[in-house]
Amino acid sequence: MSADIDIDHVTIRFGDFVAVKDVSLKIAGGEFFSILGPSGCGKTTILRTVSGFLAPTAGTVRIGGKDMAGVGPNKRPTALIFQNLALFPLMSVAENIGYGLRVRGVPGKERRRKADELLSLVALPGSGDKRIGELSGGQKQRVAIARALAVEPQVLLLDEPLSALDLRLRQHMRTELRAIQKRVGVTFIYITHDQGEALTMSDRVAVMNHGVVEQVGDGHAVYDSPATPFVASFVGENNGVSGRISAVADGFAQIDTALGSLKGRAGAGLEPGAAATLFVRPERLRPAAEGIAAMVSATAFEGHLTHVGLSCADGHSLTMSLGRDIGAHALTPGAEVRIGYNPAEAIVLRQEAR
Amino acid sequence: MSSALIGRAMLGFYFLAFFGFLFGPLIVMSVTAFNTPEYPQVWPFEQFTFAWFQKLAQDDNLMQGLQNSFIIGAFVVALAVPMGLAGAIVMTQVYAPARGLYYLVVVSPVLTPGVIIGISTVIFWKDVTGFTGAQSLFTGMFLATLGQSTFIASYCMLIFLSRLQRYDRTQEEAALDLGASRGQVFLHILLPFLRPAVVSAAVIAFLSSFENYNTTTFAILADKTLTTVLAGRVRQGMTPAISAMAVLIIAVTVAGAILYEAAKARERRDAAV
Ligand SMILES: Nc1ncnc2c1ncn2[C@@H]1O[C@H](COP(=O)(O)OP(=O)(O)OP(=O)(O)O)[C@@H](O)[C@H]1O
Ligand SMILES: [Mg+2]
Repeated sequence: MSADIDIDHVTIRFGDFVAVKDVSLKIAGGEFFSILGPSGCGKTTILRTVSGFLAPTAGTVRIGGKDMAGVGPNKRPTALIFQNLALFPLMSVAENIGYGLRVRGVPGKERRRKADELLSLVALPGSGDKRIGELSGGQKQRVAIARALAVEPQVLLLDEPLSALDLRLRQHMRTELRAIQKRVGVTFIYITHDQGEALTMSDRVAVMNHGVVEQVGDGHAVYDSPATPFVASFVGENNGVSGRISAVADGFAQIDTALGSLKGRAGAGLEPGAAATLFVRPERLRPAAEGIAAMVSATAFEGHLTHVGLSCADGHSLTMSLGRDIGAHALTPGAEVRIGYNPAEAIVLRQEAR
Repeated sequence: MSSALIGRAMLGFYFLAFFGFLFGPLIVMSVTAFNTPEYPQVWPFEQFTFAWFQKLAQDDNLMQGLQNSFIIGAFVVALAVPMGLAGAIVMTQVYAPARGLYYLVVVSPVLTPGVIIGISTVIFWKDVTGFTGAQSLFTGMFLATLGQSTFIASYCMLIFLSRLQRYDRTQEEAALDLGASRGQVFLHILLPFLRPAVVSAAVIAFLSSFENYNTTTFAILADKTLTTVLAGRVRQGMTPAISAMAVLIIAVTVAGAILYEAAKARERRDAAV
């Protein structure tokens, strides 16, 4: 069972500080939804509001169509996986998982059966009698997930649950989390400041900054068509070149920059004379006969890709990532090159007035 | 002789002097309990005897005092431990800027001289029982229990506070999130976490009650506890029976201390998880 969530014009203040500013998100039942943003942008605050530990200063949270105002965290159909997991160290693994059932009056035998079942689901069969202190980081993670799933929540809220793990385990747990979500079909709201994590796992991503949702969309939309300069530079690697718009036509914009007049797809609200930035991804840059004049400053070989550092006019630097088939080996530091790109693969975004 | 050797010798001498100073009187007293002469005497050791313990067992006054001390101790534990726990939990909930003031107020019984607590307990309860017509409550046992509990509850609170400092609030939230009520959070999460501190507080509370004299001597009125009987005896002159008593008390205290240390060790082990 899964429920949809409607976060409707929610604002959350701590004293004078506005942690979340007029956020509206509609999350469908069964969706894997991620909230991505830098540290301190208000991700945990939103999650605590959905789970009932914080009341919104303004706005409404609805779960499964029901207004949650005045409904305590122990009465909501949500389960939260805490940033620090918050497992109960004095209880065994099985007791941890069965705790939600215990407070619902489910008898011990039944709890144990359910705990064992969930332990197999999270690939930890037979660890029910272990103590929490005996588990590795990744195992604790899975116990926390099993504990949350035991109460059969309609919504599972995950607060950067993988941040404490090393890279390899994190990648493994990502696949596993996604698989678990598919199996149980519960709505997931997943919080992270790791953009790779958000892109690989989610159906849709909301990108937040300073308490504001800057863009909501699937991975492709957020990566290929960022709505704001913040999204363009926060999600993935990007080259940004600032300047002034000289012309807008047919969905493309021409922008005057220190590197010359450049062209890219036009974002919203552009008009000639406006301050804007052109973003083009490193993997979209190519050596070309005509284009931006640059000098190779460094190269970094990363297996399938070679990252080439370029210094251009006016002290500007760009990064270009080349696959093996393109002759990156010819680009040694000091070499003079010209760089081009397909304007359809670059985007020009209006500089926000902040 | 090298200077290292001199240093070692001085350290050894210091240890001997220090422990002699601490435990010498106790050892001497213990030895007199097993020596035959009428007046407590270590040397010459005339003959080993258990006679003073028998004499002690036949001493109705002392035995009555001992029994009262145990009863008062038990009631003090039952009263002071929950009060200290409540005080400590309130401390964590109080509006943060008021915490310092609250702390000062609840710790003040520890700083107040025991004599004052004893006298004020008597005066206060004389009036209260007088006005309410509950004169039958105005007994030494009742007053000693209450008087001791005031400051022993503060000791207990300090023990709970130090344990609570390491308490992870998100565990409470996790339990709430899983559907627990406030009461269940207290029973399932907070209390098990505090259990080692409950044991420590109970042991400390009992020992403080058992050995208390300052407050008890005023609050006990016509009743008696072990300490008040002993104080009276010593004024009439020492007998080895009192030494025998001391041996028993030392044994109880050592047992208590071992219990307490065991609880501390368990606390450390749990904290390591
Ligand atoms: N209880 C509180 N009182 C005052 N300010 C708070 C409180 N909780 C959070 N904040 C502030 O709100 C802002 C958002 O905090 P939040 O915990 O939601 O960030 P986050 O996006 O989860 O960051 P991180 O990735 O570091 O976990 C921060 O600036 C934080 O200082
Ligand atoms: Mg957070």
